[in-house]
Amino acid sequence: MAVLLRTLWSNRTARAGVIIVGLFLLAISVGGALMPYSATDMDFLNLLTPPAWTHPFGTDSFGRDVLTRVLLGGRVSLAISVTGVSLAAIIGIPAGLAAAWYGNPIDQLLMRCADLLFAFPSFVLALFLMVVLGFGVTNVILAIALVYVPIFARLARNLALTVREEAYVQAARLMGQSTARILGREILPNIMAPIMVQASISIAFGVIIEAGLSFLGLGVQPPTPSLGVIMADGREYFNQGPWVLTLAGLFISFGLLGLNLLGDGLRDLTDPKLREKTTS
Amino acid sequence: MVWVRYVGGRLLALVLTVLVGSVVVFLVMKAAPGDPAVAALGESARPELVAAFRAKHNLDVPWALQYGRWLSGIARGDFGLSLTVASDRPIAGLIAARLPNTIFIGVMALLIAVILSLIAGTIAALRRGKLADTIATSLAAFGISMPDFWLSYVLILVFALGLGLFPAYGFIAPAQSFTGALYSGFLPALAVSAPLAAVFARTLRTSLLEAGNKDYVVAARSFGFHPAYVFVHWIFRNALIPYITIIGLQIRYILGGVVVIERIFGISGVGSLMVDGAFARDYPVVQACAVVFLVIVLSVNLVVDVVCSLLDPKRAR
Amino acid sequence: MSNGGLRRRDFLGSSAATIAATQLPFSYGAWAQGASTLRAGITGYNVINTLDPGKATLIPEFYVIWALYNGLMRLDANSNPTPDLAESVKADGNTLEFKLRTGVKFHDGSEMTSDDVKFTLERLLDDKFASPNKSKVSGLSAIEVPDASTVRLVTKEAFAPLLTFLANARTGTQVLSRKAVSAAGDDFGKKPVGTGAYSLKDWVPGERVSLAAFSGYFGGAPKIATIDMPLIAEESSGVTALLGGQIDLTSTAPFADIPNLEKNASITVLKQAGLNCRFVSLNHRKAPFDDPAFRRACSMAFDRNALVRAVLFGEGVTAHGLIPPSIGYAYGGNNRPLCTYDPAKAKAELAKSKYPNGAEAEILTWGQSWWKRMAEVFVAQCNQTLGTKFTVQVTEANTVFQRHKSGDYQGSIWGWLGLLDADEYLYDIIHSKGWRNFYGYSNPKVDDLLERARRELDQGKRGALYKEAENTMIEDMPVVPLFVSNVHNLMTKKVQGFKQLPYSNWGDQFANMSLS
Repeated sequence: MAVLLRTLWSNRTARAGVIIVGLFLLAISVGGALMPYSATDMDFLNLLTPPAWTHPFGTDSFGRDVLTRVLLGGRVSLAISVTGVSLAAIIGIPAGLAAAWYGNPIDQLLMRCADLLFAFPSFVLALFLMVVLGFGVTNVILAIALVYVPIFARLARNLALTVREEAYVQAARLMGQSTARILGREILPNIMAPIMVQASISIAFGVIIEAGLSFLGLGVQPPTPSLGVIMADGREYFNQGPWVLTLAGLFISFGLLGLNLLGDGLRDLTDPKLREKTTS
Repeated sequence: MVWVRYVGGRLLALVLTVLVGSVVVFLVMKAAPGDPAVAALGESARPELVAAFRAKHNLDVPWALQYGRWLSGIARGDFGLSLTVASDRPIAGLIAARLPNTIFIGVMALLIAVILSLIAGTIAALRRGKLADTIATSLAAFGISMPDFWLSYVLILVFALGLGLFPAYGFIAPAQSFTGALYSGFLPALAVSAPLAAVFARTLRTSLLEAGNKDYVVAARSFGFHPAYVFVHWIFRNALIPYITIIGLQIRYILGGVVVIERIFGISGVGSLMVDGAFARDYPVVQACAVVFLVIVLSVNLVVDVVCSLLDPKRAR
Repeated sequence: MSNGGLRRRDFLGSSAATIAATQLPFSYGAWAQGASTLRAGITGYNVINTLDPGKATLIPEFYVIWALYNGLMRLDANSNPTPDLAESVKADGNTLEFKLRTGVKFHDGSEMTSDDVKFTLERLLDDKFASPNKSKVSGLSAIEVPDASTVRLVTKEAFAPLLTFLANARTGTQVLSRKAVSAAGDDFGKKPVGTGAYSLKDWVPGERVSLAAFSGYFGGAPKIATIDMPLIAEESSGVTALLGGQIDLTSTAPFADIPNLEKNASITVLKQAGLNCRFVSLNHRKAPFDDPAFRRACSMAFDRNALVRAVLFGEGVTAHGLIPPSIGYAYGGNNRPLCTYDPAKAKAELAKSKYPNGAEAEILTWGQSWWKRMAEVFVAQCNQTLGTKFTVQVTEANTVFQRHKSGDYQGSIWGWLGLLDADEYLYDIIHSKGWRNFYGYSNPKVDDLLERARRELDQGKRGALYKEAENTMIEDMPVVPLFVSNVHNLMTKKVQGFKQLPYSNWGDQFANMSLS
């Protein structure tokens, strides 16, 4: 862990990413507890008060403290996205490995399915699933997973194909190790870095999908706040209380910026093809 | 001959994918709760009205037969009639009216994104690790960190309501007035292009760096070719392949990932049509849009693959 | 690749046009077609299925229909029916005799006669036509046309709401031309022909409807030549469009924006208490709402004033019954104790009920915006006062309708708007045979009062019957009334002559409007 952090620190982009993500995580994990308000208690005497020391992000139309809601909402949104992306990875990676290892016809079948899912815009795909399954957190998670399963499957397959013929894999094979062991112990660790990069970027975009779905009123059910729910509410009374939408949006953009920078930095550090060669 | 077989094979695969896709979409829509009759006739519909509606639209026969009738219509170039979104209107007309809007905004967004990403990506790659790189990379990262609808509101607030430079709402179809379309489509295209530019710039930077590390580039440099010549002739050309590939991959986003932006700016596009159709249980509209998506996306992918293989220096020799 | 070249030339050609265009004062495309176009945005909706009054059900459909057609009657500023295509009307027991205006022309140039009126009503009554608006005229037993300008309508027994139902409103009784309908057949909904001040010019589904002034209109040729009505799905986008100068008039406005818009000197905000009622619909066939004491407890457990402030931003009045204040003769006021926030009485009522401890219930609602927010506040306050464990379930409108009709729900935020007659607010909603009574409410005394009100032609006596019915009904609390929301229109200062009525009127005003 310390080594990883030190490596990350050496890259300016990754360093910025680590700092921002760290601040974001700190804010959403302990920030809520430090706030003197509850995210769900309504206060009808303080409807839509602008930002001030008592309410740094102002209050919403039910008199709830927006900062408290944003902090809790950030946690909810992030949890949804992480769960969805993890689910996609758990399904997609083994599928991709299997496709690479066993080749046709499994490979063909899986890749054609991925092609099919790839032909639809991810947001439309997610929306579609919500229409069929109904609204709510679980289905948002499933929608995010559905968007990312083909991405992880394809990535894992392509990466596994490149290392399949490597000496260490062949050696393990000759030693008679089981397929599961080879895939899990030899191949997976060697393709993990690009997958992590993909994961960090996916989690960031997953938050945006969640926000978009909740923004259209399909996502998280009240009174639980998520960033999308808060922004959807904020849009409704944007003219009277522009701070709700604006500040919640800035908060989300800031957090995701960290994740994306982290992904960029990680990619720079881990991609062997990018390691600078001396030209002298 | 190899080419003909390759393209022919891909076209066949395309048709098969579209067929399978349409079956899947059909089944998924059927599985969704809700009834187009209720959506079309309103909450006050009486049972006999609902029955008449279902009979008129073929909804009272087994699903396999429904699908068969729909497919045979498609084979004859007939997309059928809309159930609820625009009742009894030919769907082909709906799509024909909306596709140009979607394509116009999409192309405009693509152009903006390509220009921005060429600048940002190249600077970032040339100045790798320097401050300029960090700034360009951060800007790109910020581009995909903003929720699109949030960005849309900020753009409206600043450029439309604040500065009064662009209309806040409404899109003029390119067929009506090309300049009007450029003018009214600028803000939405800008909102669409932000994440695109970010993804493009990031890809360009990576592939420029990768290409710069190739042995032949290192060799070319050591032979003493001018760096600019090396950059344009070897590095850039090689980096173009992943760059074009990633542009091709974003076609689906342009077609339908921008539903919320279309809503906010009042653009009637194909993505919105499909989503409206899904909510109103307008099965044939959803199916038609799905087919249009599949055909366009898969064709673009095919074209991109062909272009890339033409660009590939190993082939060009 | 040869296409690329073509496209490039197109592009160059167009940029030449750009230069030409910029030398003129920039006119914003199709929406600015000179002073004689009113750009009237239909906000909050983007679906118009038909412009055939006999088939129409959705509000945006009627927005347009009101401009294309006329009824025998129209509603005046006090929501009372006054003659429109009729010149005069004479009531005599079970018979209404209408003298028709003469010289009224349809858009196709033919003259409107009593035969067209007969045709219109018979079409509505025809089972094969299956009109959703049939129930409005199903009380008719005979339609007589002694001459070309006289229509006599006979009902089996006196039917008080009939005159209102014949007005140019949401009841589908607008007068059609026999000739035009027969010629168009099933396509009539796409090619409407009426007597209204405007005729259909163009219609792009899901996008816009445009109307052209009808020079032969019996009220004189309208001043505005063209009405362009973009369908703007998002209400907030309607405000943006108005502020950005892309439209001149909206059909609705988001409640939240009203206080700020009223301060804006460049626009006019029209508002008044609307003809609508919003309530929590409770399923009497499912726990915990099968117990009247529990329902009463809920009704007293939340503060309707807070609801109006937090959900409507003050744009409405609390409701203690189903009849809105705009129907003055039947309005029962808003001071019923059972609909007043009183935590102590609510808890006492709860203790008497079958579910005194932490009852669970799911309250359905839909979409974003204020429908969702109504449910949020209601649920939060009930839980706080009564210790119940209510939750909000947000889903889409389609699913809510479905679950309502099939009885698969516990509670749901619900409401009706644009209904015109007290009969529609009470008979339809709480009579045991009312078709909007989804929750299974039945009280013989209420049924009897509502049936008597239907037969009572004296408005004062009729109003008293409705008030009594509401007082009786409220003891059972079949639904929990919440509030009546205001109706709004936004206009730029150049728009003149739009007179707002409580039923969210729209196209009927175009004839009197002008642009300065």
